[in-house]
Amino acid sequence: MGSSSGQPEFDYLFKVLLIGDSGVGKSSLLLSFTSNTFDDLSPTIGVDFKVKYLTIGEKKLKLAIWDTAGQERFRTLTSSYYRGAQGIIMVYDVTRRDTFTNLSDIWAKEIDLYSTNQDCIKMLVGNKVDKESERAVTKKEGIDFAREYGCLFLECSAKTRVNVEQCFEELVLKILETPSLTAEGSSGGKKNIFKQNPAQTSSASSSYCCGS
Amino acid sequence: MSKKRRENETESGPVTPHVPVDRFGFLKQEHGNSPERFSKARSTSSTDHDREERKVRKWRKMIGVGGSDWKHYARRKPNVVKRRIRKGIPDCLRGLVWQLISGSRDLLLMNPGVYEQLVIYETSASELDIIRDISRTFPSHVFFQKRHGPGQRSLYNVLKAYSVYDRDVGYVQGMGFIAGLLLLYMSEEDAFWLLVALLKGAVHAPMEGLYHARLPLVQQYLFQLESLVRELIPKLGEHFTQEMINPSMYASQWFITVFSYSFPFPLALRIWDVFLSEGVKIVFKVGLALLRYCQDELVRLPFEKLIHALKNFPEDAMNPDTLLPLAYSIKKSVNEIMMESKGGKKNSSSSSLFYEAPLGYSIEDVRPNGGIKKFKSSVYSNCAKRPS
Repeated sequence: MGSSSGQPEFDYLFKVLLIGDSGVGKSSLLLSFTSNTFDDLSPTIGVDFKVKYLTIGEKKLKLAIWDTAGQERFRTLTSSYYRGAQGIIMVYDVTRRDTFTNLSDIWAKEIDLYSTNQDCIKMLVGNKVDKESERAVTKKEGIDFAREYGCLFLECSAKTRVNVEQCFEELVLKILETPSLTAEGSSGGKKNIFKQNPAQTSSASSSYCCGS
Repeated sequence: MSKKRRENETESGPVTPHVPVDRFGFLKQEHGNSPERFSKARSTSSTDHDREERKVRKWRKMIGVGGSDWKHYARRKPNVVKRRIRKGIPDCLRGLVWQLISGSRDLLLMNPGVYEQLVIYETSASELDIIRDISRTFPSHVFFQKRHGPGQRSLYNVLKAYSVYDRDVGYVQGMGFIAGLLLLYMSEEDAFWLLVALLKGAVHAPMEGLYHARLPLVQQYLFQLESLVRELIPKLGEHFTQEMINPSMYASQWFITVFSYSFPFPLALRIWDVFLSEGVKIVFKVGLALLRYCQDELVRLPFEKLIHALKNFPEDAMNPDTLLPLAYSIKKSVNEIMMESKGGKKNSSSSSLFYEAPLGYSIEDVRPNGGIKKFKSSVYSNCAKRPS
């Protein structure tokens, strides 16, 4: 808990972003991962943030995870949070086909547009597999999409916690295998990773100054 | 208004009658919106009770039967009205007074049958989005708890009607909390017209820019808030800069839902009393008061703990009787910033006038573009527009 002792509390710090349509379970997935609980959550307004510590092999990791509002109108607030992310998790709901088709129509394009990390690891996650009888997207379709877009892929359930930890662990393992990303995330360079100032780029701010 | 609510509930049968709820209808032992933590502050001794009775009598006298004396009183004694509202509107009169001070009552009377038309005959492109969020809006309140119950149906109707009425806004997440809050104090149709009064600016600056594509007014307010923090709480402003905290990380929901999303309900209600009477300035002031009240703690926190703290203020900070006087004491700069924004707004392409009501406004005096009448014809022209 001590905030600024000399010994770094972790070896690597990675920034991870959760994106996807409204109601697919991004916040639930995050809550399931960080607190082992499942709850009916209110829609995310804007962005939310959580930290999770992981140990993988010998390495102590700190994940800074940004959770974003899924509704289209909020993309203007969330787009700046892609900057500097080493990992991006695209979530869809296996029982709602539109949340899957929007991945290629919308979310993959958002990543291309706003991600600043060439080597950023992408992960596709199909949530709500506990509702198997309502499934509208097959596992094969998920695998095919992931292959086409060069993503990792898992199906999970934030409710039953099936595969929840694996989603994040596999993403982190892949980040650790990518030298350009680990260089950024090593504790020596933590300042500039953690403290990406996401919103209000100069262009956004300046448009409000002109009137005064 | 609240009587109507109670009838509704008994008709359909309370969902879980044995579950204890607080005086506002939220299930106890819930965190977030539960006001239970303040029960001590308002435990009703007999003197408190007497005081409350006197207060209600004064208010009844001020508004007259069904609000008939309100406009007259507000015009004659604007400062008395303002002061009383700042002390909190009695809960039993809240629904009516909100409609009077927001100008929504006039809109309702001017547009008979329009709401029904919107609910019954029109379809909205946002229907599925709305349905998806209905059960996620105040799920710990008895009125909204039951799936397809009267609360959820009303919430759906109001949001759908609005999304048809104003297709440029449609439905945006966050609006449900505003509509939900209103529905606890008034009927569907009343709540709908209050939403119209707010978004279209019957009395104060229109809120619709908070919900338009690219959320222009959210961006503007966040930018202004950041300047205000730097100016009024410089030590904290400096710490935010160092830790790379910006207002989009914690304050979007303050503006988008006017504190109804995650703040204790008794505090949200008191803020809404003043918000409807004085406009968005109070949102800035409350936000700044919270930050100022907690600044000694906040300046010590590193980034991630800071973010957490900014979304989880301590109980004592959220006691309305502590926080609101602090908010009222913040004066000058907020007004200045809001004045600047008027200038800024003129340069934008938005056709809506950005204006602030002068201090003791009365509803008749302050009207954008020829007043409330402008709403009359806009309904059908909006309905006719294709969904964008």
